[in-house]
This record gives sequence, C-alpha cells and structure tokens, in this order.
Amino acid sequence: MNTRTQHEPIIQMREIEKHFGSVIALAGVSLDVYPGECHCLLGDNGAGKSTFIKTMSGVHEPTSGEILFEGKPMRFSDPRMAIAAGIATVYQDLAMIPLMSVARNFFMGNEPIKRIAGIPFYDQEHADRITMQEMRKMGINLRGPDQAVGTLSGGERQTVAIARAVHFGAKVLILDEPTSALGVRQTSNVLATVDKVRKQDIAVVFITHNVRHALAVGDRFTVLNRGKTLGTAQRGQITPDELQDLMAGGQELAELEGSLGGTV
Amino acid sequence: MSEMTQQQTATDERVKEMSPLRRALIRPELGGICGTIVVFACFFVFAFDSGMFNSQGVLNWSTVSAQFMIIAVGACLLMIAGEFDLSVGSMIGFSGMMIAIFSVTLGWPVWIAIIVTFALCIAIGAVNGFIVIRTGLPSFIVTLASLFILRGFTIYLPQALERKTIIGGIRDIAEGDWLAPIFGGKILQGLFQWMGDAGIIGTFERGSRAGDPVVDGIPMLIVWALVLVLVGHLLLTRTQFGNWIFAAGGDAQAARYVGVPVNRVKVLMFMFTAFCACVFATCQVMEFGSAGADRGLLKEFEAIIAVVIGGALLTGGYGSVIGAALGALIFGVVQQGLFFAGVESSLFRVFLGVILLFAVVLNTYIRRMITGER
Amino acid sequence: MRSLIASVAVGAALAVAPVAAPAMAQDDLSYVLVSHAPDSDSWWNTIKNGIALAGDQVGVSVEYRNPPTGDIADMARIIEQAAASGPNGIITTLADYDVLSGPIMDAVASGVDVIIMNTGTADQAREVGALMYVGQPEYDAGYAAGLRAKGDGITSFLCVNHTIQQPSLVERCQGFADGLGVELGESMLDSGTDPGEVKNKVMAYLSTNPDTDAVLTLGPVSADPTIQALEENGMAGDIYFGTFDLGEEIVKAIKAGTIKWGIDQQPFLQAYLPVVIMANYHRYGVLPGNNINSGPGFVTADGLEKVEMFAGEYR
Repeated sequence: MNTRTQHEPIIQMREIEKHFGSVIALAGVSLDVYPGECHCLLGDNGAGKSTFIKTMSGVHEPTSGEILFEGKPMRFSDPRMAIAAGIATVYQDLAMIPLMSVARNFFMGNEPIKRIAGIPFYDQEHADRITMQEMRKMGINLRGPDQAVGTLSGGERQTVAIARAVHFGAKVLILDEPTSALGVRQTSNVLATVDKVRKQDIAVVFITHNVRHALAVGDRFTVLNRGKTLGTAQRGQITPDELQDLMAGGQELAELEGSLGGTV
Repeated sequence: MSEMTQQQTATDERVKEMSPLRRALIRPELGGICGTIVVFACFFVFAFDSGMFNSQGVLNWSTVSAQFMIIAVGACLLMIAGEFDLSVGSMIGFSGMMIAIFSVTLGWPVWIAIIVTFALCIAIGAVNGFIVIRTGLPSFIVTLASLFILRGFTIYLPQALERKTIIGGIRDIAEGDWLAPIFGGKILQGLFQWMGDAGIIGTFERGSRAGDPVVDGIPMLIVWALVLVLVGHLLLTRTQFGNWIFAAGGDAQAARYVGVPVNRVKVLMFMFTAFCACVFATCQVMEFGSAGADRGLLKEFEAIIAVVIGGALLTGGYGSVIGAALGALIFGVVQQGLFFAGVESSLFRVFLGVILLFAVVLNTYIRRMITGER
Repeated sequence: MRSLIASVAVGAALAVAPVAAPAMAQDDLSYVLVSHAPDSDSWWNTIKNGIALAGDQVGVSVEYRNPPTGDIADMARIIEQAAASGPNGIITTLADYDVLSGPIMDAVASGVDVIIMNTGTADQAREVGALMYVGQPEYDAGYAAGLRAKGDGITSFLCVNHTIQQPSLVERCQGFADGLGVELGESMLDSGTDPGEVKNKVMAYLSTNPDTDAVLTLGPVSADPTIQALEENGMAGDIYFGTFDLGEEIVKAIKAGTIKWGIDQQPFLQAYLPVVIMANYHRYGVLPGNNINSGPGFVTADGLEKVEMFAGEYR
C-alpha cells in the first residue's frame, strides 16, 4: 500500500522558525509529507503543533526557513494562497459555521456561480446537489442540503469539513486535532474518513496528542516538543509506549541527560 | 443520484423527518410573518373605519414603514455580518445637514451636493468599519463614538455657518434638478390622477388643489425601500457575497480559514449601512425641503428593533432581509395605527415592547429548531 | 368653585387615558392637537389639561399627538396621519415651516380646518391656510423681555438653551439680545435637557464669565436646574434672572426672589381657545376676526397667588 518511496514529497518544510516577539514558538522544524500518506504530528500542549500547521497553511509566515511545495519554494502570506495551491486545513472547532446550512458551509469561500443576465448569482441548485452527493459518499445522511450544521454531531462536522477540502482539490489535508472532542464512535468515523482520503492519494497531516488515534491511521509519526522535532518514526518502528514517552517528556529527559554529563 | 434513492437510503434513526408544512414554516421570517398577520388583523378589527385603510391612511403608514425599511435593510445585513451600527440616526441627521450646507449655504447644484454627501457618508461608514476591523473593538463602542461625533457636527456646523439649527429652502433650489426627484419625487402620478377622477380614491375638497386626488403618487421613498429590500434579499440569499456575509457573522475566524475576505465584507457592510442612512436622509430633505439638527434621533434603535423583530440574531450570522422588512412594516403600522385605533399615543412604547418581546421569543424558538442551537 | 373646576379637570384628564373619551355631544366633533414636543417635555402637560377641559366643556373629543423624540419630520407624518383619519379640525404647532407647511396645506385642502398654536407666526398661519394663530410670537416676546432688562440696566447675559435644534428657542434668545442691543454671539449656551448637565454647564459658564449680568432660561427644563446652580454658587437673588414659561419651581423662585420675572405665554389659552373657537365655528359659524396673542405676560412676585395654585397644571 505504501508507495511513497517512488514519489517526491509534496510538501517539504525546511528548518522552519517562527518567533512571536521574544517568544520562539518554532526553533527549526523540518518535515516531509508524501502523497497518500498520513503523517501524524504529535506533541503535548504548547509544543508548537498549531503554530507549525498555521505556517504550513499560510496563516503565519515563517520567520525563517523554507517551504517547498511540489519541489518549488513557496511563500504563503495568506490562507487563500495556500488553499489555491491545494493545502486545506480543517480546524478542530472552527471547521464549520453552525448557523449556516450544510450546503452553504460546504461551498463557503468557493461558491458556485451561475450568471443570469450577466449578474453572478450563487448557484444554489448545483451546491445542494453536490453537497448531498458528497455527504452520501462520506456516509452522512442529511435531511436536506438546507439542514443547519448546528444539528450535526461533532464527528459529522469534521467529516463535512474533510469532504469539503477533498472536493475542492486539496493535495495536502491538514487536520488539527479532529478527534480530541469526540466520542468513541464519532472518532472511529473520522478516522475511517481519514483512511478514505489517504487512499485518494492525498497527503494527510494529522495533528493529535492521542497516541492511539495516531497509531490507528498514521504511516509516519513526528513528535514536536518545545518548538523542535524529536525525530520522525515509520509505522511499525515505534511502540505506543515509546511514542507516549517521547511526547510527554522526551525533551526534558534529553536535557536532563545532557546536563548530568551523560552519567544517567 | 435521484432524490428518491437518496430518500430510501437515508435512514438514520436520529434524523427526525419533518412534514413539508413544518419545513415551509420553519424559516427566519416566520416571526415577522406572524407578527404582520396579527398586527393587520388587529387593526382591521379595531380601526377599519377610522381612515387607516383609505388611500391617505395607507400611504401614511406605508411611508413610515418604508422609512424604517430603508435603514433596516442596512442594519440587517450589517447585523448578519456580525456588527452593529449605532450611528445610523446621527448619520441621517448629518447627511441631511451636509446636503443643506452644500446646496444652500455653499450654493452648489443640488445634484453635486447629493453625490458629494453620499461619497462623504459612505467614506465615514468605511472609517467606522476600518476602526472596528483594525482595533478589534466591538462595533457597538466604535459606532457609539460616531453617534456623538456626527450629531455634534450636525448641530455645530449649521450654527457656525448660518447661525441656526434648521436650514431650509432646499426645495426651491432643487426645482429643476435632475437628481433630486429620484429621492423626493413621486411616481405613477397619472394612475392616481385617473383613480381620483374615477372616484376610486378621494379628492381634495377645496383650495387650490381641489379636485386633485388626495394621494397623487407613490413617493420615491417607498420605491427606494422596495428596491433596497429586493436587492438586499437577493444579495444575501442568491449571491456568493451573501454567503460571505453569513459566514463573516457566523464565525469570522472559520470563514477566514476557508478564504472568505471577512474584513472586506464587514467594511462593505458598514458602507452599505451608511448608504442606506444617506438614502433615508436625502429622501427626507428632498420631501420636506429642510434639514434639521435633530433629524434621525433614535433611528438606530428603531432600525435594530425592526431587524430583530424580523428574526435576525443580535450576535450575527443569522437573519433575513425580508424578515427585517416585515419588522419595519410592523413597526410602522403599529406606530401609526395606534392613532387610528384611538389609543393614547404614550402607550405606543408599551405595545412596541410587547411586540418586540413576543417576536424575539418566537424567533429564538424557531432558530433553535432550525440550527440545532442549544 | 375653583375646586369644582379642578376636580372636573382631573376627571377629564383621567378619561383621556388610555383610550380617548368618546365625544359626548350629539354632533360628534373630533379634533387632533399635534405638538412638536418630545414625550419628556413636561411643559405640555398644561396643554393636555387645557384640551381636556375644553373638550369636556364644549362636548368635543380632542386627541393629543406628538413625535416621541421631538423629530419634526416625524411630526409631519403625524399631521398627515391625523388628516387621513378625517377629523373636523387639527390644531398644530408650526415648529418648522419648511417641513410642516406641506402636510398642513394638504390637510386644509382635504377639508380639515387648521388652527396654528404655540410656535409659528401669524403670517405663516395665513400662508398655510389656517383659520388663525393662537400663541406668543417668540421673537417679539424675547425682544420685549430684552427691552425690560435693558431698562433694568443689564448689558450682558447668558441664554440657557435646552433644545438648540428648536428654531423658536433660538429666536427667543435672539430677540432678547436684540432688545438689549447686544450681540447674541457666545451668550447662548447649548445646555442639553439633562438637569445635571444643565446645572453644571451653567455653573461652569458663570465661573468663567463672572461679569455676566443676567441669566435667561427658556422654560422649566433649563430654569429648574439653573435655579439650583445659582443657589449653589451663591448668585441666587444677586444675578438678574428671567425665564420663559412657568412651572412649579419657577413660581417658587419668583416668590423667593431668585427669578425677577417669568414670561407667561399662557399655554392653557393656546390649547383651550382653539378647541372652543373651532367648536363654535363648526357649530355656529362664528370666528374671531384676528389672531390671538396668548402672551407675553410678565409674572413677577406681585400677584402670584393664582399662578402658584395652578402652576404646572393650568399655568
């Protein structure tokens, strides 16, 4: 199943640094993501995961470092640029607008246009049809395309957001803690969706601090701590306990070791 | 692919089926529709013979409602985009006064005065918007400041320039101007003359206008109101930009993440609100021929009340222009109709408060059903 | 006798609220009085009492209407609406000729008789086709007061204007200034209607301009807080203080010597007379040949008894 060795990485992050005033949020993070893989980004709170993916999705510009997208250097100064290039991000609680209908959410920012007498109108009929179609593919039964997102469960909302990103041609899909607020059944639905997406040769960057969720779908695992990577591991090369240790205190342990002159 | 197969496959025990009637009813305008029916039913019963439903009476409450509608459309779209404008009333006073100063005091042609005033007001709306966007302050506070600043200038400028607080004589200068009738004129005069001649509507009994119909045309104010409601409704529900308005008010951050230019949407909505206030003021100035420093007092709240009666959510992201228009209609009909029904005018506020409360409770209930809010 | 009238009036006032009393007479005349005053202006209570009493005495129904915020453009709609309801007559103020002349002329043309009361001038009343004007010409009243003050040796003054948007109030100040023979200039203070603000602004003005000879207030709204301000800064009784209109506090202050004189435009007459005149015109076709000046009458410490008894009610 894993064909990534024959591919070039779709996105390469090289020594990314991001400073907010005197705070160094990212101190040189490098990461490659290949098409068709699910790359899990793990780390405790404050490790720099969010800052890192916001750099990748164009919300923040890196202070230094390089982003190569499909082999070419890119600089995103605006989320729209990243979206246009094919990098889509699904945020944990900001994925959807609960007051709006599923169809309007689905096409938010990419509304289909139908010209009547030269005036660009929102093509509601098209939007409704595509939405129902895509939702059915993802296994969500809607009462209608005008059903408000607020009536959907948290897992369904994440699924709608993922389906939206895929529909609009995402090559890289960044998922920011999609499972952290979900129940068991909804989590497994979302993980199954991730698996479906990966099989369409889309690169998935999956951010989580739940090792079990990561191991369930991940191909490779990168652990972040205090703005630095603690290395990347292949699936099967690392046990859940090792991953957990790395996340929880790898950095501190390493520092402790260094300061004691290698005697520990 | 067809609706049928979808219906058959869609069997999730948690999704309750809704009857078509219920689905047709459950919409943001429902509160406004119910209110309108109730209000008209009441006045039909209690004030039918009072002159409220003769041609003059109908014109009277339609004109007042149209005034509310014009500012309610702007306030509605802005509120759906997640912001407030409390400076609408002051903007009305200010823009009317600017037209008067430009045309009467400075002697500019009326059409230039109108165009420059529109540009100025829309620019002030843009400044309101920019300050809100750049500082991240609540628009409530920013536009409260504009309320005082604009009202202050509206009182100060005519006093400084003309030593009075009402500038009149605009009607005389506007005679023959090409732009003024767009705001202060009337349409369908021929039709009303014919109706007067045919005895369908009443005619003046004496004086220089004896024989003329009591209603001699539809004021442009009403035309503006209907056009703005229609354009606002289409913009909101049938265009990409309308979707962005909902998105900007529903969750600005989520909208930004999918590439909606939230700041631009909000600033444009502030400008549109200012435009509506300016339309209101221009119609008023052209109709009455004078601009006063106290024009438009408290109109911002009347606009917001109409919008809220119409089912919009105060915190943004939800609402309807048609609803706001119905809210304005209810407001106008109640305000004018209580008189015809012979109710003491000071009780107007009591009725208004009751209607507001009733509409908001109903709207909240409907909205929860639609959006699954808890 | 006096108490009898008072109790009748109270009864009439009660009957107006909340639903206007049905006309008692057989001919069913109905009139509407439209004012420009916002709801908060208590001075108009006298007007309400006046029409209630007149309506009761001559057996017609009279309704009182006003724009809640004092917006003259809203008032124009109220006049249109009053005309649409087809009353026998409309009694209205002419607070802004430009705005109100159109609706009033339409009302006249549709067969409704109009009497102008309170604000406006006799000329304007004639131009809009009204039967007559009952009121106090504002500029003239201010001018008369100015002449009187000049005779008392006044050379500078402060005019406390609580509704600067209202042209008629500005005219009072202007008339006073012209009567004194000085420039109005900076002497007019935009005080707003809030009592606390009025008081503080007056005190601030008088402490920065301590050589001000006189204070002119334009009604209870500005007079009551000004009385307090003068009591507080010790100028009460010392500074020359005149006011337009009467009210309870003003009457007390005249008695105490704080206020030299009050200009009474006798609002009761402005409300009472038009109703009576119109009813008699409609019933018997009789109409006085002239406009009626209800004021100005100067009220001083002499002969305060009646004024005191009915201040805020009929005076």
